[in-house]
Amino acid sequence: MTRRILIIDDEDDIRQVAGMSLETIAGWDVILANSGKQGIERATKEQPDAILLDVMMPEMDGPTTLLKLKASGQTSHIPVLLLTAKVQGPDQRRFAEMGVAAILFKPFDPLTLARQISTALGWREDG
Amino acid sequence: MVDPLNKRDETVRTATTLPPSLEAQTAEQKLQTMLSALWERSRHTVAERAALLQEAGKLWADDRLDEATRLRAVDSAHKLAGVLGTFGLPRGTELAREAEQVFGQPILPGKAAAERLLLLLAELTSLIDRGPFGPR
Repeated sequence: MTRRILIIDDEDDIRQVAGMSLETIAGWDVILANSGKQGIERATKEQPDAILLDVMMPEMDGPTTLLKLKASGQTSHIPVLLLTAKVQGPDQRRFAEMGVAAILFKPFDPLTLARQISTALGWREDG
Repeated sequence: MVDPLNKRDETVRTATTLPPSLEAQTAEQKLQTMLSALWERSRHTVAERAALLQEAGKLWADDRLDEATRLRAVDSAHKLAGVLGTFGLPRGTELAREAEQVFGQPILPGKAAAERLLLLLAELTSLIDRGPFGPR
């Protein structure tokens, strides 16, 4: 089954590497967004199977984007995985309370990113 | 990949637009080839961020670092920490994290710490020059 993943990250390189990884290794369809605002628009329109969301972004950061996604009836059902370079204990608890499905860490291994997402979401390994 | 607002993304080769030379490769080999190409396109930006860190470090050592430059250094270090390991430079991530932690302090430690950081940043610049896929 081909999964559709929305990647929301303001960093071009991270979007590109994650997108290449998920497309090439797992064969998933990838949708990219470079801001929280664009990510919400794309999630609403494209209805991806999951969202990979950066935490630190200008204007609308990851947690704010997550709250808006969870507050909308059109996107609240989509699992969100946070992608972050640093998370401390209190943040992890806060994110869990906000409804995040999992937290993945930068730097990630492009060869295993799809597997990490599949495992976190309980998807079959082949996507 | 679909990224209509980012022109640069439109040039990225995806799994469905691979040239014939990549068709015979495994998925892992294809990904390595694509990452290598992406690194070549990104290394200038990465090097600029490392240069900004070095400049901030020199200003700090000279006791001339202003708040705006310090905050830009924190942002650059954070971005480098996230991306370098993903490109296969885990030591680069370590060095960038240390720079992020140091520049993230509102009151920076003394000159000896600045000199030490400059050495780490020189190592970071050297790592980036060599790159994860060998020298240019």
